[in-house]
Amino acid sequence: MREQQLRDILGHMPAGVATLQGQELRYGFVNEAMRAVLGAAVEEGDAVAEHPGTIPADLLEVMRQVYDAGRPYVAKAYSLPLPATDGGPSTPRYFDIALEPVREGNGPVSGLLLFAVDVTVQEEARQRAHHLSIETRRLDTRLRVLTETVPQITFTVDAAGKFEYVSPQWYYFTGQPPTADLNAIWPLLIHPDDRLRVLYQADTARTSGVGWSYEYRLRRHDGQYRWMLSRALPELHAPDQAVFWHGALTEVHDQRELADALRRGEAELRFLADSIPELIWTATAEGFIDYYNHYTGEYSGLTKEELGPTGWINLLEPSEQAGAARRWVQSIATGQPYEGLFRMRRHDGRYRWHIIRARQLTDERGPRWFGTCTDVDDQYRLREVLQTQYDELARTNRDLDTFVYTASHDLKQPVLNLRGLFDELRRTATFNDPEEGEIIGMVDEALGQLDATLQDLAATVQEQRGLSAPVEALDLRSVADEVLLGLRAQVQESEATVSLDFAAAPTLTYGRANLRSILHNLLSNALKFADPARPLHLQVRSFLSEAGQPVLTVQDNGLGMELPGRPAPVFQPFARQHPHIAGAGVGMYLVQRIVASRGGHLEVSSTVGEGTTFTIHWFED
Amino acid sequence: MIHIVYMSRAVRPLSDQDLQELLDQCRRDNAARDVTGVLFYSHGNIAQLIEGEAEVLEPLFDVISRDGRHSNVVKLVDKPITERSFADWSMAFHPLEPGGFEALQGFLLPQHLPPPPSSLSIADAMLVDLVKLAVFGADATPAAPEPEHA
Repeated sequence: MREQQLRDILGHMPAGVATLQGQELRYGFVNEAMRAVLGAAVEEGDAVAEHPGTIPADLLEVMRQVYDAGRPYVAKAYSLPLPATDGGPSTPRYFDIALEPVREGNGPVSGLLLFAVDVTVQEEARQRAHHLSIETRRLDTRLRVLTETVPQITFTVDAAGKFEYVSPQWYYFTGQPPTADLNAIWPLLIHPDDRLRVLYQADTARTSGVGWSYEYRLRRHDGQYRWMLSRALPELHAPDQAVFWHGALTEVHDQRELADALRRGEAELRFLADSIPELIWTATAEGFIDYYNHYTGEYSGLTKEELGPTGWINLLEPSEQAGAARRWVQSIATGQPYEGLFRMRRHDGRYRWHIIRARQLTDERGPRWFGTCTDVDDQYRLREVLQTQYDELARTNRDLDTFVYTASHDLKQPVLNLRGLFDELRRTATFNDPEEGEIIGMVDEALGQLDATLQDLAATVQEQRGLSAPVEALDLRSVADEVLLGLRAQVQESEATVSLDFAAAPTLTYGRANLRSILHNLLSNALKFADPARPLHLQVRSFLSEAGQPVLTVQDNGLGMELPGRPAPVFQPFARQHPHIAGAGVGMYLVQRIVASRGGHLEVSSTVGEGTTFTIHWFED
Repeated sequence: MIHIVYMSRAVRPLSDQDLQELLDQCRRDNAARDVTGVLFYSHGNIAQLIEGEAEVLEPLFDVISRDGRHSNVVKLVDKPITERSFADWSMAFHPLEPGGFEALQGFLLPQHLPPPPSSLSIADAMLVDLVKLAVFGADATPAAPEPEHA
């Protein structure tokens, strides 16, 4: 009963148990587990050698030796190729196999006790661990090779700030011997100006358990300090417990120098831009101003924020804003340079003329715009004044030329008369004094000189002004337009409306320069003597008289003038109707002279406060 | 009342559906807060003008600038205005399938955008024009307003 119980217990044990009896090692008791291990069906009394099942020869040999020697033996993790239950390929399984000699009392060995404990799982785990450790070693080697070949210096620091590891590059870079005490030497190699900052920053990062990234100068083996970028990240063992910091030192000296040079260059340019008494600005590729120089603020009295990305447009004269904005958008769209003449408001509310110019710079940093606003107000106004003065001078000069011409022409007749009278005098009078004859000769000579001078004068002016040019058929409208073009400043200024009506007699056969001179004088006079109380209305009309001769009238609604009561007054040179208005006072005199010299006459009718009408009869009826 | 104009880049390209949802969201949310404006989108470029009361707009812009759907948010203008210029919320973009969008309320094809309303100052109108140019490129911004939309 007890033996049966024992057999049951052994029979259900998870480990394989068998007894082998006698020199031949015949199977005695074999439990279920052991049968599974052996694979083959074995009967009690079968010799192991004849029915080895899965037991290989070497194990059988060991069994025999244990039997002979009488000393137990344990084979650890012994591999037995168990056949797969589903007929697939056999998979090796591992067993701890114990061989225990059995003795009857103190007698000789009479058999063996065989235990087989399946340790496949443990063995596989062990093998995995083994492979892992090989892989770890491999990775470790790779990491080391990598850390020792990259140009950076790599390092590991512990929580106390002591260096655990530094790659050999550190020694190459610093020239320190491998025996150098890292923790003592390293801080000494940092540039004195950076040392305290670096130590503090590293300490702060370690205390708060975060990584760091900073730059400092480290002394190279040749004694030169080079800029290094130090970056490190903590290795956390608990969520907030950093134990090590791993990092790298990268030499950034050249980049740093370049960046410094760029920064310096940029600072210098900015200083330059801020020192120039001119509005200077830059804009992004999209056309938004991102920099105004110092002077822009000074000129406009506005800050960069007040001006904003497009606020410059507000500085322009309101009527010019829309056009300027449209052109700026167009420049941004096309990349075309921007240029324009605009009035820009100064901080005191005064507008000054500026030339605004902007050009696009395109390089690897993408397009940007650079612009300037140059104050040309003084030049602009000076030019306006000069233009007015020039026009005035040119007109006066022309008038004077014509005056000289007509005067020389007018003087010719009296000289001719004088000459006749003198000749007559010489012929009829008797001179007794011989000296008088000499005087007569001198007078004669002087008269000749006077005549020649007058001739020369007339010829010179005629030559210059084309007053003696032959007559031609002239289109009145085109000549009048030409004259009005020359007077456009005055027309605009007085806001005059000029109506031209040449339909009845469109052409006139006359000297071109003469016609221009006449029209110029009549129109400019009318413009000059406009009544400030009402806008000037000028009517120029051409028609044929009853006799079929051409007539021109120039009618204005200007100041008007007092007339001496004759319809065809004689205008005297330098006599001026309106002394308060600028002029040389020869204009109307000339007109009269020219018209008369060409065989016509001038009429005038005028009412003070209502206007004046000049009528030119080009040729006598 | 103030208006704010900003530009940004979409983190990933927006699909037609994304855009429609965005338009719906803008119209719905902003109507409730009395915020109006206009939104431009093209090829990842975003620009938006919003107008409303300062106490509504400033927190709204904070939310917008933290929105994960876009980055590089650059505020161009933030200043007081006297009247609204985009009373009806609208949006313009290049849809992949234009057909479905033509009829959508508040949606405009970029080339059909009207010129900035005259209620904007010239400086602000120019800003909107430049923003439009930056988002859509030169092709979609006619130099002169098209007569049928003028």
